[in-house]
Amino acid sequence: MKEKVQSFGRALSGMVMPNIGAFIAWGLITALFIATGWAPNEKLAEMVSPMSTYLLPLLIAYTGGKVVHDHRGGVIGAIATMGVIVGADIPMFIGAMIMGPLAAWILKKFDKAVEGKTPAGFEMLINNFSLGIIGAVLACLAMLLIAPVVTALNAAMAAGVGFFVDHGLLPLASVFIEPAKVLFLNNAINHGILSPLGIQQVEEVGKSIFFLLEANPGPGLGILLAYCIAGKGSAKSSAPGAVIIHFFGGIHEIYFPYILMNPLLLLAVMAGGASGIFIFNLMGVGLTAPASPGSIFALIMMCEKHSYIGLLLGVAIAAAVSFVIALPLLKFAGKDTSLEEATAQKDSMKKESKGIADAPAQTATGKISKIAFACDAGMGSSAMGATVLKKKIVAAGMDGIEVIHTPVSSIPADVEIVVTHQELGERAAHSNPNAQLILITNFLAAPEYEELVEQLKKTNL
Amino acid sequence: MIIETVKNRIRIKDKVSSWEEAIREAAQPLLEDGCIHESYIDAMIENVIQNGPYMVLIPGFALPHARPEMGVEKTGISCLKLNESVLFPENMEVKVVMALAAGDANTHIDALTELTDLLMDDDRMEEFFNSQTESEILGILK
Repeated sequence: MKEKVQSFGRALSGMVMPNIGAFIAWGLITALFIATGWAPNEKLAEMVSPMSTYLLPLLIAYTGGKVVHDHRGGVIGAIATMGVIVGADIPMFIGAMIMGPLAAWILKKFDKAVEGKTPAGFEMLINNFSLGIIGAVLACLAMLLIAPVVTALNAAMAAGVGFFVDHGLLPLASVFIEPAKVLFLNNAINHGILSPLGIQQVEEVGKSIFFLLEANPGPGLGILLAYCIAGKGSAKSSAPGAVIIHFFGGIHEIYFPYILMNPLLLLAVMAGGASGIFIFNLMGVGLTAPASPGSIFALIMMCEKHSYIGLLLGVAIAAAVSFVIALPLLKFAGKDTSLEEATAQKDSMKKESKGIADAPAQTATGKISKIAFACDAGMGSSAMGATVLKKKIVAAGMDGIEVIHTPVSSIPADVEIVVTHQELGERAAHSNPNAQLILITNFLAAPEYEELVEQLKKTNL
Repeated sequence: MIIETVKNRIRIKDKVSSWEEAIREAAQPLLEDGCIHESYIDAMIENVIQNGPYMVLIPGFALPHARPEMGVEKTGISCLKLNESVLFPENMEVKVVMALAAGDANTHIDALTELTDLLMDDDRMEEFFNSQTESEILGILK
């Protein structure tokens, strides 16, 4: 179970992390230019909604698709995700995370099925039209199927929050509010249920706790601080910037990806949110109007004048609880990944210190499924080398190893071993830095082929 | 397979003055048949200058080629047999030059597979290097 949650989280993070820059750009634009922002500008604020509705989900979908099936996968992932985006009237990050890889996977299956059956000269035509047709169909299906799902989710979240509000169990509302936030359903809850209740209460008693249930930046702050300390790689290094955008800028969306990449952290924000609400409730804290964006400054500005201490305390407690729970979750869940990353980092550092030409020191491990022969044109020498190696592999009684020939400038990313001429070694390493590189001087009778076959016997038999 | 594309595109010469001329001479039949444009010949020569003579696949045999987009109209292979070997860069002696024009990544693979078998067969290559006439060469390629 732990394994599954982790690899799921890793897959999500693989789609989100490469795009954090876009989240930050969008966060900055939002924090600055929306009507309640720091430098309101109606013209520039027009970007806010299209960016979160289209740009961010499409980037995620492209990245998710690309992981599965290279560039073609990325393109079809983005196409199919358009259906989800238009089908739902909220930013569809989760939809993008599902449709991107799914569409790419379907295309990959199709490509596998028709591989080798394409008549010569029609490759481009078939490639483009298969992608286009399958993409169009998937986009339509996604649009028709996703809208009802989103509506249902919205209703379920709203009902959940409503139940706890009605029964006076306010802190437990966090159990619904926090996941709903991460799924970008927060506005439905905030503006659909909580704000109307809050406004009603303000008219009666001059302040309301309802404005704080969703807008409290504490739980998110705790998560980000935990990443600052126990995070790894780019998640760690980007977390401090995210703290500023989230806590002072009030753009909560910036921390959602950090939860998506490790879904167990939902427990931390739920507990943090509940603790905050408990304190607010206990000390009778209320705001006089909705705080938007959910920045600590906006909260203070809207705070009812006897509530300052309780407000700050509630935010601080929420952050502390969420931090304390998130920290071990991150450390516990991250053991094996950090090792992986450390190894990869070590390898790349080694390579850099030696200069990239020394890359052949790298040896592919695990079962090999794809070997590429590369020459400048990818037509002649490499094709002949591939023929020779294929024969040797078959003679050694191995199967399931694909041997392709390719131009050195565009070696596919999923290739594990690259064989190329000595002169082209540097360009090959540049084109696919991750593959094991075998440098030869003679494509037809290289002694290295025997070594390679021996290596393959070890990994594949 | 290979014989069909090479047939009528075989030339035999006593000697050429440089490896560049060998490539030009070898590619001439392809140019005449409209398989390639002049630009492709320049690209093959440039390829050897840029990337070294890795197209000398075995001693005595070179397979100059370049990317399809450098001027290939249709797939074809031609052959130049020299009675006196010419020096490619790095002092590689070459007696047989087969110019390859590949229109896409796949159509010529059968011919190349056959050619690979030939190149790995020392006896037949010996015959190839010593051949004097077109019919002799066709006999070897069969």
